[in-house]
This record gives sequence, structure tokens and C-alpha cells, in this order.
Amino acid sequence: MKATAKEQMEQSESSHDEEDEGPTRAKRGKPEVVQNGLLRPVTLSRGDLYKPPTADELNQLKEAESLFHCSLLKMQMEELLKEVSLSERRKQLIDSFVQSVTEQLQTVPQTSDMELSDLSWLSGGVKVPFVLVPKAAKGKFHMAPPISVTIIGSYPLGTCTKPGISVDLAVAIPADVLHPKDALNQRYPRKRAIYLAGLAQHLAASPAIGAMRYSCLHGNRLRPILLLSPPGKDSSSFTLRLHACPPPGFFKPSRFHPQRNNIRTDWYTGLGSSQPATSEPPTPHYNSSVLGDMLPSAHLQFLTAVSSQCAAFAEGVALLKVWLRQRELDQGVGCFSGFLGSMLLAYLLSCHRVSNTMTAYQLLRNSLHFLAFNDLTENGITLAKGPDSTAPSLAEFHTAFQVVFVDPSGHLNMCADMTACTYKQVQHEASLSLQFWDDPTVDGFHALLMTPKPMIRTSDHVFQLCELVKLQCCCKKLNLLSELMDHSGNYVLTALPFILSLLQRGLGQRVRLLTHSLTPDPEWPVESDAPKHNTQPPLSFGLLLNPEQAASVLERGPPADSPKAEEFRQLWGSRSELRRFQDGDITEAVVWEGETTCQKRLVPRQLITHLLQLHADIPESCVRYIGGMLDDVIKVGREVCSTGEEESLKVVQSYDDLSRKLWTLEGLPLSITSVQGAHPALRYTQVFPPVPLKLDYSFFDREKLSRSLVPHEVKPCPVYITPIQVICHMEGSGKWPHDRVAIRHIKAAFHISLGELLTQHHHYTCQPSPTHLDVWKDGLVFRIQVAYHREPQVLRESVSPEGLLIVRDNAEAQALEMATMQRPLLTSTLHGLQQLHPCFGAVCRLAKRWLGAQLFSDDITEDTADLLVASLFLQPAPFTPPGSPQVGFLRFLHLLSSFDWRNNPLVVNLNSQLTAADYTEIKNDFIASRESLPVMFMATPNDKKVSIWTKQAPTVQMLQRVVMVAAESLKILEPQLMDTSQIQDVRVVMRPPLDPYDVLIHLSPKQVPLLSQAVDPPHATFSRGILAGRVANTGGALPVIDFNPVTHYLAELRDAFGDLALFFYDPYGGTVIAVLWKPKAFTPLPFKTSQMVARRVEVSGEEAHTVPNVEAILEDFRVMGQGLVKSVEPRTERWVV
Amino acid sequence: MAPSRSKHANQTCVIPGGFTVLSLQFSTDIVAQHKICVKEHRVRAEKTTQRPLDRTLFVLNIPPYCSEGVIKELFSQFGPVQSVELREKPGSFEHSGPKLAKYFTPAQKQRFRVGYIVFQKAISITAVKSHPHDVPLVVSTEQRPVWTGLQKWIHQYKQSFAQPDKLQEAVDTFMQDYDTRKEQEAERQKEEAEEQLEDEEGWVKVTRGKSGTKTRPHSEVSNQKALQKESRKRKRKELMNFYTWQHRNTQKEHIAELRKKFEEDKQRIALLRAQRKFRPY
Repeated sequence: MKATAKEQMEQSESSHDEEDEGPTRAKRGKPEVVQNGLLRPVTLSRGDLYKPPTADELNQLKEAESLFHCSLLKMQMEELLKEVSLSERRKQLIDSFVQSVTEQLQTVPQTSDMELSDLSWLSGGVKVPFVLVPKAAKGKFHMAPPISVTIIGSYPLGTCTKPGISVDLAVAIPADVLHPKDALNQRYPRKRAIYLAGLAQHLAASPAIGAMRYSCLHGNRLRPILLLSPPGKDSSSFTLRLHACPPPGFFKPSRFHPQRNNIRTDWYTGLGSSQPATSEPPTPHYNSSVLGDMLPSAHLQFLTAVSSQCAAFAEGVALLKVWLRQRELDQGVGCFSGFLGSMLLAYLLSCHRVSNTMTAYQLLRNSLHFLAFNDLTENGITLAKGPDSTAPSLAEFHTAFQVVFVDPSGHLNMCADMTACTYKQVQHEASLSLQFWDDPTVDGFHALLMTPKPMIRTSDHVFQLCELVKLQCCCKKLNLLSELMDHSGNYVLTALPFILSLLQRGLGQRVRLLTHSLTPDPEWPVESDAPKHNTQPPLSFGLLLNPEQAASVLERGPPADSPKAEEFRQLWGSRSELRRFQDGDITEAVVWEGETTCQKRLVPRQLITHLLQLHADIPESCVRYIGGMLDDVIKVGREVCSTGEEESLKVVQSYDDLSRKLWTLEGLPLSITSVQGAHPALRYTQVFPPVPLKLDYSFFDREKLSRSLVPHEVKPCPVYITPIQVICHMEGSGKWPHDRVAIRHIKAAFHISLGELLTQHHHYTCQPSPTHLDVWKDGLVFRIQVAYHREPQVLRESVSPEGLLIVRDNAEAQALEMATMQRPLLTSTLHGLQQLHPCFGAVCRLAKRWLGAQLFSDDITEDTADLLVASLFLQPAPFTPPGSPQVGFLRFLHLLSSFDWRNNPLVVNLNSQLTAADYTEIKNDFIASRESLPVMFMATPNDKKVSIWTKQAPTVQMLQRVVMVAAESLKILEPQLMDTSQIQDVRVVMRPPLDPYDVLIHLSPKQVPLLSQAVDPPHATFSRGILAGRVANTGGALPVIDFNPVTHYLAELRDAFGDLALFFYDPYGGTVIAVLWKPKAFTPLPFKTSQMVARRVEVSGEEAHTVPNVEAILEDFRVMGQGLVKSVEPRTERWVV
Repeated sequence: MAPSRSKHANQTCVIPGGFTVLSLQFSTDIVAQHKICVKEHRVRAEKTTQRPLDRTLFVLNIPPYCSEGVIKELFSQFGPVQSVELREKPGSFEHSGPKLAKYFTPAQKQRFRVGYIVFQKAISITAVKSHPHDVPLVVSTEQRPVWTGLQKWIHQYKQSFAQPDKLQEAVDTFMQDYDTRKEQEAERQKEEAEEQLEDEEGWVKVTRGKSGTKTRPHSEVSNQKALQKESRKRKRKELMNFYTWQHRNTQKEHIAELRKKFEEDKQRIALLRAQRKFRPY
């Protein structure tokens, strides 16, 4: 946000200039079709188009047509693969580094035998990467050079991708260091960790190795690894991961059956109560972590064999990895790692779900299809063909683990750490992706592989558990000692599945999906101890809400006498009570607090804090709920907190009533054919919806004749009353004149008679005027405009001197058409959208509040903003439609900042009226005439070619600025929402940077009627002539309508100085008008009678030039805003002479 | 002000182009001044009597808060002013359409404007042109204050109320006027039509066609419609899939279509590649 707007403008202007010269330069250079990043229509010569095709070409074209939606996707994938694959140079670097490390490892010195607990031989500050709890451990240990060093994992397989390249090196510990009984009581994991420390100590001396750090494999603390990076400037280009493994076949795999115990309770607790070995609890997670160490080379062999069969295997895995990474599923504890991806493909190949000849694209598609329709939490799969008799069965795996995918050996569950929720998330993402893929109107490639889906932008609500230490008590409360032992003390991982299932039960139908963040792999320098479990970042949970049920305040349970009632009472504790319902049932029920929509939206929060407190001993203070953080800025209610839904509803109800009354009016010369709302308040998207008002008559002056209220000069500006536009179409008739001025007079006559009838029958106070009729009703003002459907046509017609009737489009007709036809249509369409998606209105309001606060209201108009938000709901790919205002707003910012406005039209498929063919048509029209179209092009079903809403604004420069500020806001807002350590003030993104502007005009708060809507609530409030109390429905003097001095002032400023400067203002209670001089206006111009606007003449010799008379202009700012302007502050000296 | 004005350039400021620069300030307590340029109105083609050549002063850069009345007051110090015309752009005098009631005249924009001031006497022009440059004209004085800002807007708001009966009256008078004009028009057309009919002896009087003589003017739209109808008819009669060569042609077209699409996609890719759009993260 620091870069000044002006620099930006200049830049963009200069880039624009370049664009103008572009074609000539390109012609000289290379005959490319793409020039300066702008798509142009393709022109192929006749000869090229119609030459006889070769068989090859025919095949290629056919394949592209039948396999993919279009050849574009195929080419896009190829390009993507090029981006993520490793370069030859990088591979050479890796190979040579691996070589040198291997050599180093062979020279590890031999030491003598010592006790396992004796770590005195470790010097040089190298620590053991293991939390040594409990302390006691039996056994001997000595260092010895490894028996073998082999590359394993993705690198030799060719599935290694950028970024975060890691190459795995398995270092086999000599058999004499270990003991066959070491698998018991963490002895083996400890020996392995100490062995790694020994290696680290040895390698520390080597100059060929850069930084050394510890980490652990997939966050499993039992499996520490040593990260090595190359020295010098390549240090960040890749990391080498050293895994210490037992020699092949050292332990019998049957020892690690998921139902066997390998950690004795008496050893772990340190209490001497010796239980018989049979009653010891099984330790499946511990077992699989030891087992996992023995198999990597076997896995590599297996995968190499598979990939040699299938040509596109590596590419398919690479695509799958990109897909997983964009969804934040590929890293951390219990992740769906790239290794699992390879194994999945191998599984699909082995059971002939995919064939060896398939392309990478087809492999990805089929694996997503498999994931979407197969539930590994219920029906696990296995790669083992004819496993030995000691291998556990799938059922046994299922009892021990939530997700089951057994490796080729038949002993290891590769998804041991994965929670059911994570798998459900994978499934959800896969089915969603397939859906977008099949939809020809969605850019599948972009949605699937190019768009990141961070949790805060994906989930409707997010909450975090902050103080993870509290989970220790939680484990105690949930009685999870044996599980804790199995996870070797990692209380976070132990408690997680239980918390998840608890929440899943409690939330029930309210959520479609419950996700949680995967704890990232910790990394720490070799010189420090392994970090404690509580130092990891807070656990985040994402909720994908079910819009119909999420906000319900009632949780209706089973009837009181049913056996399930006990279960219900147990779950909800004291909140559960017996209630009698209208249908006569008496059932258990829980009722949450919440009156307004905004409070009801946060019912899940009450529910979650209650459940966590009750069952897991997690106090409310530890739960940080991020769902309504942004609601504050659009809050309207004074007594009850509300974000405007109720107020909007009241307005709509009042409008419905008025419309009904208009329909039934009798005595008009022509009948009414339609009554349509044309105001944002009537589609729930007005930032601050009008509130019914009761007026204090003594505050105002009176107009002499009509006794209407008028503002008083000395008092503060009266409350602003928004007129709510209603368009009233009259029936067509031969009586309508065919002349523009006459039509205006007839409309005035209609306004008068409508007003008379409304006063007569319903006693409303009305004020007709030539352009509209104001009706004071229920404390609101409706502005009825009569429209005649042929008027735009009349405005377009003119008779040429030859007597030929010509029809020419003009601005006047377009404006009228927009006001009387398109805007009402948009209003009713968006009103419908609000009925489908209850939070649509709130998202619009947040978005418009942000645009206003950042002073962009005049560039991205209300209608444009509403359409932008509508597109988020209508085409949410790769997300689901936003389920909370917060996530909608974040996606709005993301859309603004990431959409390629230059080369793509934004298609807003209102009412789903557009088909795939329409999309192509829109796209082709757009490319063909890009230069003449608005910079921000939005197509709707009724407007495929023109983009009426963005025709006037924004300009290139302003759009660029909006994009930049949106990106910047997103960058500030998202971390702030997710990170507890940052300052918690979401209003930061609503405060515009004022330093880029040249002049600031400070307004007197007294005369700004909307002051109370400001982002930062004002200190002083002024009496603006309103009273509390019930609002009368009819009668009363006409209030002061649509009187806002600031709008008048801005209009005058823009009229007078629009050529010289841009004026920016926050329409919602801003007290500053920011002025930006136009750089072009300040270049001296030769004297011309038509260009002498607020300029001075400078004479040099025979020539006269003019420059803007800045001093006088600044003075005019003051003069024209007398009574409103507090001060004018020139901030830059650049233009002051 | 004793020394003769023509010799002292610091007093009157004449710039190339023949304009004299005057200063104008809003009120006496404000330092900053606007520079307005004046010149006698001299356009050869001007025929109207609204702007007599010798008595009209052409003024540039009049600030938005100066209305006709203010300008009249301001310049009457140089001699009695006959009329003032303010316009957004310099240009010849235009007659506006039928006179409209005040409710129906569109609101004027608050722009810097140019003015044509017609004095009663030609001598006033020289008086203006010799006005010293450093003695500014003052717009708003205590005797005749000019309202701006809040005061003005409140005043405007008060003025915006239309009395329903007055408004109705305005509408009625206009519509009556409109109807009579319509009738006259119809009458005239009828007469012209009659003129072209045969007289008793079978003679037709042929007159030179004037504009608007036809009862219904041709319209562009109907012309186009006729053309379209014609071409549609032709198309319907054609056989599309009859001869072998036609079949071959459609196949050829299909391949050409695919090729074109392929080219387009290639172009798109090249563009995206140039913009480094394939970095997934």
C-alpha cells in the first residue's frame, strides 16, 4: 500500500504508451501473435486453414478434441509439468551433493560401547532430536559407519517436484548397534535418534555441507530426520533428508501387528505395577512408525517396477502432488503425501482401474475419481498380493486406524496417522474437482491446479485452539492414557481424533465438512533440544457450513422417553432440557442464544465452546473463533448487534406493501404494468440499509407552502434519508406522445396523480416532482419513478434532413434504459440470489464497505460490486459458495487481485441462463474487440457484449490501483485472522493510505450526515433531529430527503475541476476528500480559448502558455464548500508554484 | 491611477492573441486570484443581433460561482450592461427549443464557463480592457453577497419543491401547446398531400420534394429488415447437403475450425507462458 497512487498512474500510463507502439515493434522483431500480453484474434491464411491434413495432424486434433475439453487444457498441463519438474542443472547439483555426503558418511568413526542413557560422548553442542520422556532406557550404544547409504523416495523415482525439493537418503544402522529386542519401549527410536545425532556431529565438521537442521518425518516425533542443505548460494535450492533405518530384515514384521503392544505401561508410567503382557493396550501407531522405517527401499523397488510399466506415471504423480499441495494436504502430520499419491496410482494400476497407456491427465482424473467414490475409512485397500499368514487383516487394521491403505508387504498401514476428517476432506476436494472438471463453463485447469486453497479462504468458519498445553488436561479428562503412550506423549495428536469426533457429533447436520490443519513438520537447529509439543502453531479447524441448518438456534433431540435421550443428555450436559413443541411432542432440546442473523451465524461457536468445555476441559479462552471478525464494520443496530439483515428485511417488507398498494390504485388514466425496485436496499446489499426514522420536528425549518421540513443553516446537517428507488412502468398506449419532452411532461403528470391517489387512499405524505414522486412511508422514503417502455426508443430516434428516420444509440437513452430496465432486473435477480444464499447480502455489504473505505466507490460502482460478489456465489470454483460473510469477503479480495482482467471476461451467469456455447461466444467476441471494450469486462445473460455496468468506470489506472490495494489488503488480513501473535484489528484494511494524495480537504464532522457510519466510530456525535420510539406508518410532514452536503460538494468539485484532478471520498461517513492532481493537466499548454479552465497565462516571448492556477483552485475548494470544509491541506509541493 | 495606461505594461496585461488579463477574487479577504481573459467579440460569420460586434465582450475562465447576475453586477462598473450569456464552450449563438417551465429545464453543471457580455455602449469595452491588472474584481462583497457551500445547497433544496398544482399547470400548458403544434403539423401535411392529387383535368402539380413531406418517413430499420428478409429467403431455398462437394466442404470446414482453435490455444499458452502463469505457487 506504500507505493503511491500517482507513481502507479504514471507507470500505467507509460505502459499504456508502450502498448501503442507495440505492434510496430513486434512486427520488426518477430511475427508473434501475442503482443504485449494482449490476446488478438487469430488470422490464418486460407491456404493454412484448408490445406489437406496429414494423418498425424488429424490424430492430434482428434485426440485433443475428444480427450480434453479443448487442446488448451492439454497444453496447459504440459506447461505446468515443465514448471514443476527439476532442471538438469539442479539434478547434477543434487547428485554431486549426495555423492559427497555419502562419502562423508562412510568415514564415521567407530566408538566403544556405552550405556544408552549416557550421552556424554556427544560434543560440539549437537543435541539428540528426541524428547527423552521417560528418561530411563536400558541398552548399549556405539557409533559405527553405516552399512549402506541409498537414495530412496521420490527423487530416484522421478516424481520429485518443485518447490521444496527434498531428496531422501536412507542410512542403514549396522546390525551390531541394535538389538533384536530394541523394538520395545522406544529403545530403537532412541538409538536411531542418537545415531542421527552422531552423524550430525561428524558431518558438522565437514565444509561440503551447509546448514544442518533436524526435523521429523510427517511430524512424527519418533522418526527424526536430519536435514542437510548444500553450502553457499545453492543452500536453498534443495534439502537432503537423512533417514536412519535398521538393516533390512532386522526386525520381524509380525512384531508390529497393530494389536500388539511394544511399550510397557510400567515402563512408560514409571510405576511398578506389573501387568501381564496380554492385558497391555496395543500400540498400533508406535508399531507402524518403527515398521515404516524398515520398508522404504522395498517400497521404492515396488514403485520403480510399477512406474517402468506406465510411461506417464511420474507425470501423473506430479500433477497429483500439485493438486494436493494447492489444498494444503501434502504436508504435516497425517498428510496425504506425494508418497501416498504414488502408491495410490500404483494401486489403481495394479487393479486395472487405469491402464499403462494413459496420459498424465487421465491418471489424475481417474485417481480423483477413485478418491471421490471410495471411502478408505470404511473399506480400506491393500496393495499386498497374497500376504504372509502373520500379516494382519484389513478388519484388524480398521479397528486400530481411522484410514486404511496397506502397503505391498501387507504389514504397514501407510495412512496410520491420517484422521478420518482429513480423508473426508480429500474425498470432498476430489469430488468437487471432478464436478468442476466436467463443467465446460469452468476453467478446470485453473480451478484444479492453479488456485491455492488456504483454510481461511476455503472454510466458512475457522477456529483455533491456542494454548495447546490445555490438551494435556483434555487427554486426562478423556481418559486417553494408553493412546498417549501409543503416541509417545504427543498429547496433541492423541487428543485430536477424539475432539474431532466430538465436534462431528455435536455439529451434526450444521456442517458439511469439518477439516483441521495438519500440524507442520517442526524444524530445529541441531544445537538445540527437540521442541516441546506445545510450541507448535495453534491447531486450526475449518467448518464448511450447511447454510440451511448452521444458523438454527434449536437443537431438537429425541423424545424424553426414548433410549437415545440419555445419550443426548450426556452430549449436551446441562444445556439439554425438556421442551414441549407446538406439534405436541415433548423432547430433549438445546436452545442457543441468538436474535439477529449475525448472532445466529455464530451459533456454531457457542456450540463448540460448550462442547469443548464440557467434554475436553478446554476453557473458552483457548478457543479463538474466526467467523464474524469483520462483522463490526457493517454493524447497524444500536441496541441489538446486527449486521443489517433484519433492517433490509424491514425495507423489503415495506416496499412489498407499497407495491401492493400501487397495484390496486384505481383512477389512473393508464394502468400500471410493473412495479420494480431499483435500489440496493431492495436486494439486501445496501451497506447500511435505511432504518425507519422518527423525526424531531423542532429541529428543522419549514418550507412555507408545503410545510415540508428543510435543513437549518446553523444546526448540524440533519439525518440523511436515502430515497429508495422504485420504478413503475405504465402500460403502453397510443396516447403516449412520440416526443421526448412531451413524454417528460406526461410522466410529471403521472407523478402528480399517483401522489394524489396515495395521499387520498393511504394518507401517505407525497411530494411529486417532474422526475419522481417521493413517498414518506413507515419512516422510509420511496422514490417512485414512472417509466414508459418506449421512451429509450424515442430518445434514440431522430429524423435526418432527408426525412429518413435514423436510430442512433446515445448516452441519454442508455442511461434511461439502465435506470428503468436493467437496474430493476438486476435488483430482482440478485434478490433471488439472496434467497438461495443467505449470506450473499452480507458479503456484498462487506465488499462495498471496503471499496468505500479505500475510496474506490466511484470506480467500482455498487452494481459492479454486487455483480462481482454474485460471481463468487455463481461460480465458486475451486471453492464452494461462501457460507459466511468473512470468507466471501476474502474471496472477493482474491478475485479482485488475481483475475486477469486484460485477457478474460468475467462471466456472471445469473439464473444459469448461459450455456457453454454462450461462454465461447462471449470469449470470442471479447478477444475480437478487446481494445474497444471496458478494462473490466463483465458479461451477464442480458449483456453479453457491452458490459454496461463497467462502461464508465473504472479506468485502467484505477483498476490497477484497486487490484494492488486488494492484494495488499488480503496479504494483511489473512495472516491477521490466522495468527494470534499479530495485532488484532481488522479495521487496518479499511483505513486507506492517504499519503499518495496531493491535497486533503478536511470536512467539518458536524455537516457530514453519515458520520456515524465511519470505519472508526467518531468521538463526537451530533443531534441530527431524530427521536427514539415507534415510527408512525403514515402522515407527518415530509422529511429532508437525499440532502447530503458532501455529495453536492463533490459534484460541484468534479464539474469544475474534473479535468485537473480526481476526487476520492468514502461515502460512508468519511470526513476527508482526497484530491489527486492529474499529471497530464500540469504540462503547460499553448493558449487556447477552449482550454482556459482555472488556468493562468504565462507569456514567454511571442507565445502564451497556460498552467493551472493552483492557488486559486485551492481557494475555490474552500469557497465552494463554505460551511462544510474545515481546512484544505496541500500535502505535496510538487504543483504549488 | 494617473499615468496613461497604455504605456505601463504592469498595469494592463495584454497577452499574445489579443486578450487582456484581469484578476478576479471571490472576496476581499482572499488572496488567491483567478485570471480571466477578455477581448472584444469579433467573429466574421456571426449574423445574429444577439451579439453586436462592437459592444460585445468575450470573457474566458469565469469561475462556477459566478452566475449571470453576478457577472452583470461585476461588469456594470464599466458601464451599463445589456445582457450576459454564459456558456460552457465558446461558439455561435443558439436558439433553444420551445420555452419550458422552470421545473423542466435541466440543471446546469457547475463548470468554468465563457461569457458574452453585451454592453449598452461600445465605450465600456475599452474601459474593461484598460482596467489595471493588479486591481482585482471582487465577486462577493458585503453589499451583494454570493452564496456558496452549505447556504447555497440549503437554498437549492428549498427551491426544489414543486407545488403540485403549479406543476400540473405547467404540464397542462405545455401539453396544450404540444397538441396544437401537432395539429398544425398534421394540417400542413394534409394540405401538402392534397396538393399532389390530380385536379379535375387529371393534372398533377409536381413540386420539389421538401423535407418532412411524406406522411411516414422511411426508417433505416425497415430498410434493413427488408434486406434481411430477402437474404433469408434465398438461404432457405438453397440445398446444403446435397452434392458431394458440399459434404466435402463441411468436413474441410470442420478441420479448419479445429485448426483455428488449436492456433488460438497455442497463442493463449504462449501468452500465459510469457506471463509466467504456470507457476502453481
